Amino acid sequence: MNQPLIDLVNISKSFDGELVLDDLNLSVKENSFVTLLGPSGCGKTTTLRIIGGFITPDQGKVIFNGEDITRMPPNKRQLNTVFQKYALFTHMSIAENIAFGLKIKGKSKDYINDKIKYALKLVNLDGYENRSVDSLSGGQQQRIAIARAIVNEPKLLLLDEPLGALDLKLRQDMQYELIRLKNELGITFVYVTHDQEEALTMSDTIVVMNQGYIQQMGTPEQIYNEPENAFVADFIGESNIVNGIMLRDELVEIFGAKFACVDKGFGTNTPVDVVIRPEDIDLVEPEQGTLQGVVTHLIFKGVHYEMEVTTPDGYEWLVHSTDMFPVGRKVGIHVDPFDIQIMNKPASEDEEAVGVNE
Amino acid sequence: MSMAHAKLKRFFQDFYLVLVLIFLYAPIVVMMVLSFNSSKSRSQWGGFTFQWYQQMFESTAIMEALYNTLLIAFLSALIATILGTAAAIGINSMKKLPKTIFMGINNIPMLNSEIVTGISLMLMFIAFGVSLGFKTILLAHITFNVPYVMMNVLPKLKQTSKYTYEAAMDLGAGPIQAFFKVVFPDIMPGVLSGFLMAFTMSLDDFIITHFTRGAGINTLSTLIYSEVRRGIKPSMYALSTVIFVTVLLLLLITNFAPNRSTVKNAQAAAAGVMPGEKKPNRFGEFVQKGILIATSFFIIVGVCYTTYRHIAVKHSDELYVYNWGEYIDESVIEQFEEETGIKVTYDMFETNEEMYPIIEAGAVQYDVVCPSDYMIQKMAENDLLAELNFENIPNLEYIDPVYMEKSQSFDPQNKYSVPYTWGTVGILYNTKRLEELGAPVPTKWSDLWDERYRGEILMQDSVRDAFMVALKMKGYSLNSTDPAQLEEAKDLLLAQKPLVQAYVVDQVRDKMLNGEAAIGVIYSGELLYLQEEAESLGLDYELNYVMPEEGTNIWIDSWVIPYNARNKENAEKWINFLCRPDIALKNFEYITYATPNTGALELMDEEYRENTSVFPDTSKLTNSEVFQYLGTEADDLYNRLWKQIKSQ
Amino acid sequence: MNKKSKQLLAFPYIIWMAGFTIIPLLMVFYYGLTDRSGAFTLANVAAIMTADHMKALLLSLLFSTVSTVICLLIAYPLAMILRNRHIGTGSFIVFIFILPMWMNFLLRTMAWQTLLEKNGVINSILSMLHLPTLSIINTPAAIILGMVYNFLPFMVLPIYNVLAKIDDNVINAARDLGADSLQTFSKILLPLSVPGIISGITMVFVPALTTFVISNLLGGGKILLIGNVIEQEFTKGSNWNLGAGLSIVLMIFILISMTLIAKYDKDGEGAAF
Repeated sequence: MNQPLIDLVNISKSFDGELVLDDLNLSVKENSFVTLLGPSGCGKTTTLRIIGGFITPDQGKVIFNGEDITRMPPNKRQLNTVFQKYALFTHMSIAENIAFGLKIKGKSKDYINDKIKYALKLVNLDGYENRSVDSLSGGQQQRIAIARAIVNEPKLLLLDEPLGALDLKLRQDMQYELIRLKNELGITFVYVTHDQEEALTMSDTIVVMNQGYIQQMGTPEQIYNEPENAFVADFIGESNIVNGIMLRDELVEIFGAKFACVDKGFGTNTPVDVVIRPEDIDLVEPEQGTLQGVVTHLIFKGVHYEMEVTTPDGYEWLVHSTDMFPVGRKVGIHVDPFDIQIMNKPASEDEEAVGVNE
Repeated sequence: MSMAHAKLKRFFQDFYLVLVLIFLYAPIVVMMVLSFNSSKSRSQWGGFTFQWYQQMFESTAIMEALYNTLLIAFLSALIATILGTAAAIGINSMKKLPKTIFMGINNIPMLNSEIVTGISLMLMFIAFGVSLGFKTILLAHITFNVPYVMMNVLPKLKQTSKYTYEAAMDLGAGPIQAFFKVVFPDIMPGVLSGFLMAFTMSLDDFIITHFTRGAGINTLSTLIYSEVRRGIKPSMYALSTVIFVTVLLLLLITNFAPNRSTVKNAQAAAAGVMPGEKKPNRFGEFVQKGILIATSFFIIVGVCYTTYRHIAVKHSDELYVYNWGEYIDESVIEQFEEETGIKVTYDMFETNEEMYPIIEAGAVQYDVVCPSDYMIQKMAENDLLAELNFENIPNLEYIDPVYMEKSQSFDPQNKYSVPYTWGTVGILYNTKRLEELGAPVPTKWSDLWDERYRGEILMQDSVRDAFMVALKMKGYSLNSTDPAQLEEAKDLLLAQKPLVQAYVVDQVRDKMLNGEAAIGVIYSGELLYLQEEAESLGLDYELNYVMPEEGTNIWIDSWVIPYNARNKENAEKWINFLCRPDIALKNFEYITYATPNTGALELMDEEYRENTSVFPDTSKLTNSEVFQYLGTEADDLYNRLWKQIKSQ
Repeated sequence: MNKKSKQLLAFPYIIWMAGFTIIPLLMVFYYGLTDRSGAFTLANVAAIMTADHMKALLLSLLFSTVSTVICLLIAYPLAMILRNRHIGTGSFIVFIFILPMWMNFLLRTMAWQTLLEKNGVINSILSMLHLPTLSIINTPAAIILGMVYNFLPFMVLPIYNVLAKIDDNVINAARDLGADSLQTFSKILLPLSVPGIISGITMVFVPALTTFVISNLLGGGKILLIGNVIEQEFTKGSNWNLGAGLSIVLMIFILISMTLIAKYDKDGEGAAF
C-alpha cells in the first residue's frame, strides 16, 4: 500500500445545528478496502456522502489524488457509488442502466457494448442485458448496481451499506464476491456498514465511528483483539466489560481478585475498564480459578457452549467454551494475562456511548 | 456548486413559489376582502361590515343548499363506501376476465366527462319517470363516487396478505370474524381515504348535479351558478369566505395535529440517514382523522339542520312554483303559506327555453309556472297546459282587460293564462360612459351597430330577444319565419358581435350598475330598480332607458298551470292570491316590472304610475308586437342561426 | 368466506353499474341515434361536421390543450421545487398549494370574474397606479386563465406525488455517474415522472375540454365551446336528440385522446433512454 488516494482533513458537518461530524480526519490509501463501521447516526454515511460529493462539509477539505475536490460536483469526481437499496433506474433496461455513465461520457457504441458484456460477466449475470429492473431479485439488482458503477473505471468505489437489504446467505455470498471484484479490478473500496461481521470479513482497514468521531482505526485483528475503548469492544464482537483497578503495571484487580495482565503505564490504583472476550475465559475447578462463580445458563451453540457464570458480586460473565459445565455447577474463572485488555475510563461523554443498539 | 450560486437558486425558487401562491390565493383573498365591504361596488371600499354574512346566514336558500350539499355528500360517500368496499373485495377474488370487464365498466364514470355522465343519468331518470330531485342527485353522486372508493380500496386489498386471513381462521375466528378483525383493519386506511375522497368529490360537484337536480332543490354549486348568472351578490363573497375558512380549519386539524414525525423524517432524509423501520401507526392516525371529520361533519349538519327546521315548518298541502329568478317578493310566498297553510316549493329558471324541456319531460311536476307569451302558446299547442278554472280566481277582475285582450295573440280564448307582469324591451344607457365615448344617446335599434359602442354593448343571451332587435331594426315582424329575413337578421347580428361585450341575461342589470358597459338591451321593468340602486350606491352616472323608434317587443309574463300539476286547486289559489291588489303592489314594488293589475295601480305612488318608461302609453306601441310561438321548424331555424352567431 | 361468497359481495355494485352506468349510456345512444319522432338517424352525430359545431369542438380542443400545457409548465417546476425541499407528502407547504382545490369550483370561477371585470379589482388597482387597464374578460384569454386556475392543483398533485416517491439516491446515482443537472433532469427525473404527467394531463384536459361553466362565466356568452353547445341543447335549445348525438361524439373523442395519451405513455417509457 502506497500513498493516500483520498484525504479527509478536519471535516465538520452539522444538520440543523446538530453536529454529525466533528473535526474528522481520515486517510485512505490506494488499493485498500476501508470499512466505516458504526451504529446508525454515527456519521459514517455522511462521511461517505461527503466523499461522493452529495454533501458539502461545513469545514475541512476533501483531497482526492492530491487535488482539493471539496466543492466539486459529484458528476465531475472520478469515483462512483453503489447506493443503499441500489437506486437503479427503473425506467431503463439493465443494459441501459449500465451504459448510463458511459453514454454521458460520450463513449462509442462498441466500447459501451463491450463494457456491458464485460461488467455483466464480472457480476455473473451474463445475458441479462434486456431484462427490466423490476424482474430482478434483490441480489441481482445489487450486482447490477455494482456493474453500473465499475464500468466507469473509477479510482475509488464507495459502497453505502450495499448488502443491507439482502438475506443472510446472499449477504455472505456477496461478501466473497466483493472481495473477488476488488482484487480483480484493483480499485480502492470505501465501504459503509453497521454489520461488524461484514467489516471483519472484508476489510483491510476498519474505521469504527460513533457520534461523529473516529473511535478506532486499524486492521480487523487490531480492532477485535485490542479495542481501544469500551465502545469499540462492545460494538465489535461480544465482550465482558467490567470495572477494574490497575494496581500497578501488569496487575489488575477485578471484583476483589487480582489478575495478571500484560498492560503497563496506567499508573497505580487507577480505575480502568477491563475487556475480556467470552472465548478467552477458561472455566476450571473452583479452587484453580482466580474468581469463583456458579453456572446459571447453558446453551449449546454447535461450535461451542455458551454459558453464563454468576460471580458473588452479581456480575454475569459470558463464557464460550468447548467444555460443558451444567447449570448449578461451581466453577473457577481463569484468564491468561495476554487475553486481558485494559482500557482507560472514557474522558468525555461522547466516548461513553456504550451499548448503542443496532 | 458555490454557496452564492446555491443561494441565488434558492432565491429564485422561493420567488417562484410565492408567485404561484399569489396566483392561487389572490382571488380568494379578494373575495374575503370584498365580503367585508359595505359598498356593493366591487371597485370601491365603502367601509367594514358584517351585513353580507348576516344576509347569508339569514338566507333560506343558501342554508337549505348548504344542508343539501352536506347531506348528499355524506350519504353518497357513505353508501358509495359500503358499495365500493364490498365490490372491491368481490372483484379481488375474481378471475382475470370478469375482473377486466368489471373494472372497465367501473371506470366509465371516471373516464367519461362529467357532462356526459350527467346527461346520461338525466336521460335515464326521465325515461323511467323518476322525478328529478334530492334522490336523483343522491343516486348520481353515489354512481360517480364508487369508482373513487374502489380506487382507494383495491390497492390496499392487493397488499393484504391472504395468509393473515387464513391465520385468523387457524386461530379459531369464523370467516366473518376473521374478515372484520384481520382483513378489514388492514384495508381500513384505504376505505377511509376512499370515503373522504368521495365526500370531497360530491361536495364540489356541479355539472352532474346541474343535470340531475329538480324542483326546489339546490346544492351550493347549483345555487351559486344561478346566483352568479344573475349578477354577483356580496353574500356570495361571504359564503366563499366561510367555505374557505371551514375547509382550511378542517384540513389543518385533520392533517397537522401530530406533525412531529414529518419534521423528523425530513431531518433524517437531509442527513442521508434512512429513517429506521419505525413505521408510524397509520391505522391509528386514520381513525383519529375519521373521528375528527365525523365530529366536524355532525356539528355542521346539526347547525344547518336546526336552522333548516326552524325555517321550514311542516305544511299539510303543497305547491310547486316555477318562476323566473328574482320575480317575486319572497315575503309574498311566506304570506301565502301563512294564509293558506300550503307549503310552497319555489324554483327558478332563467329563460323560457330552459323551462320548457323540464315541463315537457314531466320530470318535475310543477303546479304553476310563469312563462312568457310565445312560450305559453307553444306549451298550449303541445298540450302541456291545463285550462284554468276561473271560478277559483275571482281576483281576475283586477286585471286590466287590455292585457287579457293582448294575451289573445298567444292564448286566443284566454283559457290558460293570467297576466302577471308586462313590459317592453329597450335600451339602457350610461350617460357618463356615453359622454366619455363621445357617442350620442341611442334612440333606435340601429344605433346598436354604431362603431363607437365597440365593446360597450350588452346583448340579451336569448334567441328571440336577440333576433327581435335585428328584425325590428329592419322593419320586419319579430315573429317572422321567413328564412330570408332571418338570414338577414343573422348577418346583422354577426356584424354586431365584435361590438358586443357580452351576451348575458339577468346580468345586464348588475353589469350596468357596475359601469361595465355603456349600453344594454334590457327589460323595461328593470329600470326602477336600477335607478333606485344607482341612487343608493351614490353613482356618478345615470342610467336611462329608451324605447327604440322602430318598435319593440311587448311581452307579457303570465301564470299557467301545467297539464300534470298535482295540486291544481292550490295553483289557482296561488294565481288568485297574486291578483289581489295589495299583493300585486307588493310584488311590483319588489320586482318593479309593470303590473296589469288595476287595483295595484290605484294603490301605487303617483310617481311610479306616471313613469312612462315603466308604464308606456299603450296607444304609442303600434309598431310593437307580442312574441308568438312559431312552431318546431321555425324554432329549430332560429336556434341554428343563433348558434352560428354565438360560435363565430 | 370462500371465494364464491366473496365474489357475491360485488353483486350489488354490478346491479348498480347496470342501472346507473350502462343503461344511462344506452339512453344517450338511443337519443343520439334517433330523431324527435323516434326514428333511427345518424344526423345528430353527423351534426358535428357542421361549421358551428366543428368550430366549437376545435375551439374547445385548442383552449384545453393550451391550458393543459400552461398548467404543466407551471406545475412541473413547482412540484420539482417542493420535492427538492424534502418537506414530505403530508407537509403544510405542499398542502397550501393544493388547498384551493377544495374551494367550490364555481366560487373560484366567480372570483376571477370579480377580478377581471372592466371595473374589476385588477383594473381598479391598475388605474389607481395610473397603469393601462386590462381587458381580457369575455375573451379567450379569460377562459384559458379560468381553466388554468381551476385545474392547476390537479396537475400539481399527481406530478408531485410521483416526484416525491423518487429516491434521492436515484438522482445521486445519476450525478455520480457523471450526469450534470440538466442530464439528470432529462434522462432520469422527467422519464420517471411520466406517469404523474400523464395523469395530470388527463385530470386537466378532459374537464377543460368539456367545460361549459368557465366559458359561460368568463367568456361573456360570446365564445361557444362544445360543452356549451351540448348544455344548451339540453337546457335551452330543447333538442335533446342533437345534444345526445354531440355527446356521443364527445365521448368517442375523449376515448380516442385517452388511448393516444396512454399509448404515448408506453412509447415514452420505452424511448426515454
